[in-house]
Amino acid sequence: MAVLEVQHLEKRFGATRVLEDIGFSLEKGRALAILGSSGSGKTTLLRCLNFLETPNGGRILVNGNCIFDAADPATQRENEVRKKRLHFGMVFQAFHLFPQYTALENVTLAATLLAQERGASRDELAAIRDEGLELLRTMGLADRAQHYPHQLSGGQQQRVAIARALSLKPDILCFDEPTSALDPELTGEVLRVIRSLAERETTMIIVTHEMAFARDVADEAIFMDGGRIVEQGAARQVIEDPQNERTRRFLARYAAGGSD
Amino acid sequence: MFWTVTLSLLEGTAAAAELFFLTLIFALPLGLVVSFGSMSKWAPFARMKANIPAWLRTFRPVSLVVRTVVWVFRGTPLMLQLLIIYYGPGLLWNNNVWGSGTGGRMFAAVVAFILNYACYFSEIYRGGIESVPRGQYEAGLVLGMTRRQIFFRVTLLQMIKRIVPPMSNEIITLVKDTSLARIIAVTEIIKVGENFMRKGMIWPLFYTGVFYLVFVGVLTLLFGWIEKKLDYFK
Ligand SMILES: Nc1ncnc2c1ncn2[C@@H]1O[C@H](COP(=O)(O)OP(=O)(O)O)[C@@H](O)[C@H]1O
Ligand SMILES: [Mg+2]
Repeated sequence: MAVLEVQHLEKRFGATRVLEDIGFSLEKGRALAILGSSGSGKTTLLRCLNFLETPNGGRILVNGNCIFDAADPATQRENEVRKKRLHFGMVFQAFHLFPQYTALENVTLAATLLAQERGASRDELAAIRDEGLELLRTMGLADRAQHYPHQLSGGQQQRVAIARALSLKPDILCFDEPTSALDPELTGEVLRVIRSLAERETTMIIVTHEMAFARDVADEAIFMDGGRIVEQGAARQVIEDPQNERTRRFLARYAAGGSD
Repeated sequence: MFWTVTLSLLEGTAAAAELFFLTLIFALPLGLVVSFGSMSKWAPFARMKANIPAWLRTFRPVSLVVRTVVWVFRGTPLMLQLLIIYYGPGLLWNNNVWGSGTGGRMFAAVVAFILNYACYFSEIYRGGIESVPRGQYEAGLVLGMTRRQIFFRVTLLQMIKRIVPPMSNEIITLVKDTSLARIIAVTEIIKVGENFMRKGMIWPLFYTGVFYLVFVGVLTLLFGWIEKKLDYFK
């Protein structure tokens, strides 16, 4: 069964239609790349999945359970939305680390707060700390645990942000152009980390302009244009042999070294 | 003579300090409430189905009222506010709500200062809150944190760090503004100096400056220490 199923999702900002009839599903352990030029609605789609925007139409199912239905306000109650968000992890383009906390504290803060809410013991809190350290270690940041964000490079900050997003063990991890804010020489370390997550069968949705990376790491790909999905299929096929005219033009610009 | 003057000035300092600390204790939290009011997004007509003009949809009554009050308190002299608050009730309704004597005058002065400074502080808070990037709030949300947790665990300290410099300015101004209370005959430092001047002595007036300098000096050290404490993050 699919971990995630999105049906007829629609989002408007005032009179502008930003997402129209978006539908796809994602199997457990698979990685989905979302491609498309700037302004095509990729960020808005991820924000809808994370309940940062409320879609105007459509449904979102996780593990077969409907967690959002635009037609059913009962699925949109603030209290429950908070829990439903935990199905998804989100890695932002601009990291958004908490500056007053160390790398380790950034990773453990949310888990610690949740644990304290249910009155966790000292041991449980210590376990959260150990898990945080372990996550940082897998990100190659074991020696940076006690550093504050401003003491880290952009690539290191983004890796801390990935560890933070993983800390609550989301079903699906979303990346919104995770390397777009980085200097070119720092993108490699972040892409390597994402690649290793894919190898460990983490279910992921990756918005990216790194075509070679998407082709190699993602299982499936979606190409968006003007708020609609114009092409979807196996990543290799969509990127190497696109059927749609707009996908072709978009990819040709990338192949020519251009960007949007 | 020197000791007589010093003792009198110390009494004036005690009055000024009382006014200063009472103002801070009440205006600091009140200012936060006022800033929430001025940032209120409550717009009762926003989602109305009826065909109403666009400006009515964006009409935010709480924000509008609070911003108007802030405008009045920041836009008129504190001295005028002191006079109106102290004498107003007696002259308008023949009812001096402040009680008689020194206590009553101090009470009125404290109230005027709290209202005035809460308005100034509210604008500093607002600037501080709005300067914390929205991404911080959203990062908290996607981690399943509540609004409350985000405010206290994420936003607050970043906001405090940003408001310490403008706050310290405002609080140093408050030290010197306490001298305005003499307009309603509160015997603070300058009033004491003035009394000696009337007896033909000018040096006590210069001497009053020393008391302000010491007061402000201590505050400057304190704020410097706080800024240093918050220096560990950017
Ligand atoms: N909060 C918003 N209000 C109004 N328009 C928005 C808002 N957020 C995004 N948009 C518009 O929605 C469209 C899609 O934006 P976005 O999802 O950020 O695209 P992408 O991530 O693919 O570049 C753009 O035209 C953008 O201007
Ligand atoms: Mg985007």
